[in-house]
Amino acid sequence: MSDHYQVPETPAQENISFELNGEAVTRSAPSAETLLDILRESGQITSARAGCRVGRCGACQVLLDGRAVPSCLVMAWQLPGHHVETVEGLNKDPDFLSVRDALASESALQCGYCTPGFAVSLVAGIRQRRQGSTVDLTESVAGNLCRCTGYGGLRRAIDQLSAPGCPDEADGQGASLSENQ
Amino acid sequence: MTHENPPGIAGNLTTLDGDSVRNSASKMDLTQRIEGRLAYATDQRHLPGLLYGAILRSACAHALITRVDISQALGMPGVHAVIKADDVPGLNRFGIVIRDQPVFCDERVRYEGDAIAAVAADTPEQARAALNAIEVDYQPLPVVSDAALAEQQIALHNSHEKHGGSNLLARETLECGDIDDAFARCAVVAEHQYQTPRQMHAFMETEGGVAIPDGKGGVLFRVGCQSGHRDAEQLADILGIPHEQVTVEAMATGGAFGGKDELTVQPAAGLLALKTGRPVMIHLDRFESCRTGIKRHPVSVKMTTGCDAAGRLLAHKVEAILDTGAYASLGPAVLENYLDHATAPLYRIEAYRVSGRLVYTNNGVCGAFRGFGGNQATFAVESQLDALAHSLGVEPAALRRINLRSPGDAGSRNQTVRWTAPPADVLTAAVASPLWSRHDTDTGRWLTGTGMAMGAQGNGLGDGLPDSGGGRISLSPAGRICVEFGFSDYGQNIVESITRSVCNGVGCRETDVEVALGSSRGPDSGPTSASRSSVLVHSVLASILPRWIGAVRGHAARLSGHPEEGLEFGPGGMFFNGRQVLSYRELAESASPDEMAASASRDFPVAPDSGQPVGRYLQLQIATVARVAVDRLTGRVRVTDLHHVTAAGRVIYPPGYLGQIEGAAVMGQGMALTEDMTTRDGSYLADNLDQYLIPTFHDAPLQRVDVLDDTPEDDPFPVRGVGELGIEAVAPAITAAIEAATGVRVRRLPVDPGDLLVAMAAKEQTL
Repeated sequence: MSDHYQVPETPAQENISFELNGEAVTRSAPSAETLLDILRESGQITSARAGCRVGRCGACQVLLDGRAVPSCLVMAWQLPGHHVETVEGLNKDPDFLSVRDALASESALQCGYCTPGFAVSLVAGIRQRRQGSTVDLTESVAGNLCRCTGYGGLRRAIDQLSAPGCPDEADGQGASLSENQ
Repeated sequence: MTHENPPGIAGNLTTLDGDSVRNSASKMDLTQRIEGRLAYATDQRHLPGLLYGAILRSACAHALITRVDISQALGMPGVHAVIKADDVPGLNRFGIVIRDQPVFCDERVRYEGDAIAAVAADTPEQARAALNAIEVDYQPLPVVSDAALAEQQIALHNSHEKHGGSNLLARETLECGDIDDAFARCAVVAEHQYQTPRQMHAFMETEGGVAIPDGKGGVLFRVGCQSGHRDAEQLADILGIPHEQVTVEAMATGGAFGGKDELTVQPAAGLLALKTGRPVMIHLDRFESCRTGIKRHPVSVKMTTGCDAAGRLLAHKVEAILDTGAYASLGPAVLENYLDHATAPLYRIEAYRVSGRLVYTNNGVCGAFRGFGGNQATFAVESQLDALAHSLGVEPAALRRINLRSPGDAGSRNQTVRWTAPPADVLTAAVASPLWSRHDTDTGRWLTGTGMAMGAQGNGLGDGLPDSGGGRISLSPAGRICVEFGFSDYGQNIVESITRSVCNGVGCRETDVEVALGSSRGPDSGPTSASRSSVLVHSVLASILPRWIGAVRGHAARLSGHPEEGLEFGPGGMFFNGRQVLSYRELAESASPDEMAASASRDFPVAPDSGQPVGRYLQLQIATVARVAVDRLTGRVRVTDLHHVTAAGRVIYPPGYLGQIEGAAVMGQGMALTEDMTTRDGSYLADNLDQYLIPTFHDAPLQRVDVLDDTPEDDPFPVRGVGELGIEAVAPAITAAIEAATGVRVRRLPVDPGDLLVAMAAKEQTL
């Protein structure tokens, strides 16, 4: 059998406390468990998704203290004292709403499995930009893979988000979409 | 955006751009997906009593199995069941065309993804630990790894006697005219060998889902798949239970592209669910997905093509070998579609002999993949046309123009063909692309060039295969207009497209419509493949909408007291003189559900010729113009632009149409430049997305899609499926552009930068 499936002796569980979408949480997990598994095991968070588990595809991207990181590469022991955000916790965030509206209006997704990861990367880029960095949003999604769209809609959405005055002035225009739900 | 047509084009040429997307994007479904609220098959962790399944895969590419011992695994912590071949109560075989793939191997393994046993445990870690405790003894057999030699080597399937017990699974020859006589009259002949790669679908959601026992011997499957009804049939046979006891509910699926057409995790999950009486989830990780999943057939082909001094194609000979891997899956159908496309459906050729052989090897398993053999063939055919043009000293476009079929001409297999625009007009629009006039000054490092290729793509399963599909419309108790089809939703915008068609046909608004897809309890629409869904949706709706509208209007008239003629469907309900008189909910409440339902099944349109239908009736076309930059230091190729001209009927949902073309094109670019699941001695050399490189945002070109719609008003099939069209001509357009940039024609994909550099250096020396 391949080494790939070698599982060590059952590792000790530890109580891991961190902030998840603005709330203090404590999870029992081995210290080397990935943030991705910790998030998904709860059943509450489904937006972070396993695509490759080697940090290549970005489908599990989350914000760790505001920076976009693949949650498959963050270990439980690295979490205490840090703040994790997923799109489940961003649904009132003006930057996320701008990103969401741009992605939706440009039809920048098909199957959508990768899309929350792209959204997280773009939100991180927009926040950096607001803090004064010169950010090329296309660089923000360099670590995200999409197999469906050929990135055409994403390019258009990024153009929209990079237009002068947008989305730093975002004020929750996302409300325009909610009437359909 | 409609712009001025290039001269000589009758139809309407429209650019699908950001404006056309923004003006029509339906956001209902999209926001759910962006916010992560849409549940995928692999998201179902909340099920009470859920167990995690894992599958033991072969350690060898080819071996006899002499012993499988599960006794130790059974006693591992958290383990609820361990099963192997003798635990399969029904048929221990599956496969869409030929059931030749064991659910669990007991005598022999034929590729390194073969399943031997499976475990259900409380946690994924426990399940994997138990897999490690299963002991298997192998007696290795010689590995058949070269498709060209496979027929002379040890046969993978003893029982396969059709071709003398060899590894030849299928062979087929299509012929037309006297090829020897035609070659004798050729002024120029091009003969070349082409090779296309074993491309991986690389859907972002790997294969997975859950099987849920109903406690009465039946099982519900919620798994990413492409054909609920067909899967249910195969699964019932494997589980050894009546068909009615198997239900498949396709969930939102994170991409498929053909790679989920065959059964994946369902057999093991279903058997474990029945054995344990608990729901079982299996979700392959990327490593296991790479190792076990279906791939695109690699094709090695020799093409010999000749024309007369005026450029008229006279003779065309094709000898192809397709490596189907260890099991048939859809290989025989892929061979057929490959050969169909190898006859060059766009062009008149006096005589051809197109033959192909499909062989078993120990190199994984190949099957359905967007393009389905067609794009592999088109790569070689279009390259041949360029070779002839160069020999004759004429423009590639000019050579094509001489030979393109006209509307009214029979197809390449002498069948009736229905185009939606004259092929010559597609060519004219492509020749007018602004990419041709972009004359970049070549810097010292980058060489740029522009090239073009054309492609034809048929809709439907083709060649006389049973092909029909049904759908149903009803008014739900909550007053929603509910439309059901059996197709799966894996991101192809089928929900939006159906919704748009219903709104257009009925006069309601998007939020009045609810689309239900992919249940084996609902209508059987056939597989979600072969670019057939859009055609069938349109055809079924054309049949059921008028009946349903009549029934609902009649009922509304009786209920409201208004005359039928004045009652109009509108947003939220029925209107009379501009005023809403009944809501859909009120209508629904006043009638039994069956009173206001209509359903129909339609046969897929095939050529109305006498005898066995062959070839594709509904034909689409594409011309792709590519502009590339080749790095003189590394040989790397960047595709900077792709400009497509498509003729594929009417556009129902612009964002979907555009997205399908753009997405397929970048997938084709991957096949042309980086993607190949190389095997050595039957083992894949790549096992994750860090080694198998699919295009990123920064690899993707700028794209423009121009739609040429010259569909006659009264065309009975004005809507065609465009899921595969965009991949058809990309690879040969890219290699034509590379040739324009460097003088080197690449005939082996993916383009090897090292080989290209060497060839460029040789070219420069001879200049």
